[in-house]
Amino acid sequence: MRKAMQYAFFGAAALCALVAFAVLVLIIGALLFRGLPAVNWSFLTEHIALVGAAGGVFYNLVGTVILVFTSLVVCIPVALGLALLCACYWRDNKWHGRSLVILQLLNGVPSILFGIFGFIVFVKWLGWGKSWAVGGILLGLLILPTVTVTLIDRIKAVPQKYIDAANGLGLRKSQIIWSVIVPQSLTGLVTGALLGMARAAGETAPIMYTATIFAGATFPAGLRDSPVLSLPYHIFILAQDSFDPGAMEKLWGAALVLVVLVLVLSSLTLPLRMRIRNTHQSQ
Amino acid sequence: MNPATDIALEARHLTVLAAGRIVLRDVCLTMHRHEVFGIIGPSGAGKSTLLRALNRLLDLNADYRVHGDVLLAGKTIYASDTDVDDLRAHIGMVFQQPVVFPVSIFRNVIFGVRHQHSVRRSEWPEIVERSLREAALWHEVKDRLHASALKLSLGQQQRLCVARTLAMNPEIILMDEPTSALDAASTRAIEELVLTLKATRSIVLVTHNLAQARRVVDTLACIAVNDGVGEIAASGCCSSILTSVKEEEVRIAADNLIARPLKASIAAS
Repeated sequence: MRKAMQYAFFGAAALCALVAFAVLVLIIGALLFRGLPAVNWSFLTEHIALVGAAGGVFYNLVGTVILVFTSLVVCIPVALGLALLCACYWRDNKWHGRSLVILQLLNGVPSILFGIFGFIVFVKWLGWGKSWAVGGILLGLLILPTVTVTLIDRIKAVPQKYIDAANGLGLRKSQIIWSVIVPQSLTGLVTGALLGMARAAGETAPIMYTATIFAGATFPAGLRDSPVLSLPYHIFILAQDSFDPGAMEKLWGAALVLVVLVLVLSSLTLPLRMRIRNTHQSQ
Repeated sequence: MNPATDIALEARHLTVLAAGRIVLRDVCLTMHRHEVFGIIGPSGAGKSTLLRALNRLLDLNADYRVHGDVLLAGKTIYASDTDVDDLRAHIGMVFQQPVVFPVSIFRNVIFGVRHQHSVRRSEWPEIVERSLREAALWHEVKDRLHASALKLSLGQQQRLCVARTLAMNPEIILMDEPTSALDAASTRAIEELVLTLKATRSIVLVTHNLAQARRVVDTLACIAVNDGVGEIAASGCCSSILTSVKEEEVRIAADNLIARPLKASIAAS
């Protein structure tokens, strides 16, 4: 009886894993099957043409990279400050739990609300117009909970012996934070940034009213009224508005480029991750 | 010698509570300059707690309350205006397990010093060499100062921790069973180091090893557990306390059961 239960449990778990795996394989397979024919060198280097039915996605790629990097530049300092506040200064008081709840709530806010909030506050009220900077700030806010919570977990996992040793040397709290806790939590920052980056790269709702247009933008010229093209918005418009069969191929191509872009950006952090792991390995 | 200036550290009626429960009761100890003061007792008697009360490291854990007083060179360290970080820089500490930071040997030695504004950056190499020489580690590492400290053996790591403490130039060094994680050869190296260091500093050494106490300790305090509370059972000159303990008891002491036979033999003598 107990054996049967064990087998049943293992079977159920394996089935769940299989479903998740199958969905992933299907999506990647469809992307490769339908997107690969569209992707070639000129697709990556040419400007959009014929309302997306011809040409390439060069400036969409550029725009998405700009948005992702801006979001990380906005998010990482704020997340670091917030995580240090929560995990080091508020560790033993009620604000620690409260801020975690607030972060969870922020994480649950639908991304379109970020778009509407950004439109009202930045585009209209502050008068920035549609701009890459607004999109970067909104995406940075959107991924803030993910990055912060990952970082808090990592900070809490810093071995107490290091903190004791630093205290034993008479280091002040701020000195311990900068020379012990932050270096030891860098892996958390990198992991969090990767999770956030993947999400920021694919979001459409926060940037569609605030940062991105379908055609006619190149490199941003300034801070205000300077929209960019982007991959997710390109896919959204082609999927929604285009009846041209030529555009469908480009759509799948753009989707494939987006996935590969996230992969490439993630692998850029590989040397950094290896270095952090090597310095901490022989303990 | 003037007895007042000869005292390095003095505990006066020190009582420690953990989460409202007394763990150490009424500890009075006088530690002199240039001596190795040993604290010996069974596991869980509060040896480490006592040590951590001497540099206020217990303050960091909100569960602990300390009553009584500790005097450093005649001045209380439990005053409300004491700069605790400054205090801990003057009373160095070496832990049971060697704690080296995952950076180079050089960086480890200056880990505390580089935050002291009175020390210029150009003085760092000199401090590193002096500290490593004093910790008897210089000849083993002088060619690889910028290699990761994690590559050192455990015994070398512990001497590196001593060097890191010495770099701060403390008057007193607290050592919490510094050899319990080490092999025989490394233990000997640390013990020899302790004997050399007492020429220039005062050392408080917690140990549960009677043989080690015989080898290096000048004045010994024995902590015994009485109704779950640690108390000083006896203190005084190390050799006079330990001559009353027989070989059989030394063996038992190795099994962490030192306090009872020791108390009995002290009562008998």
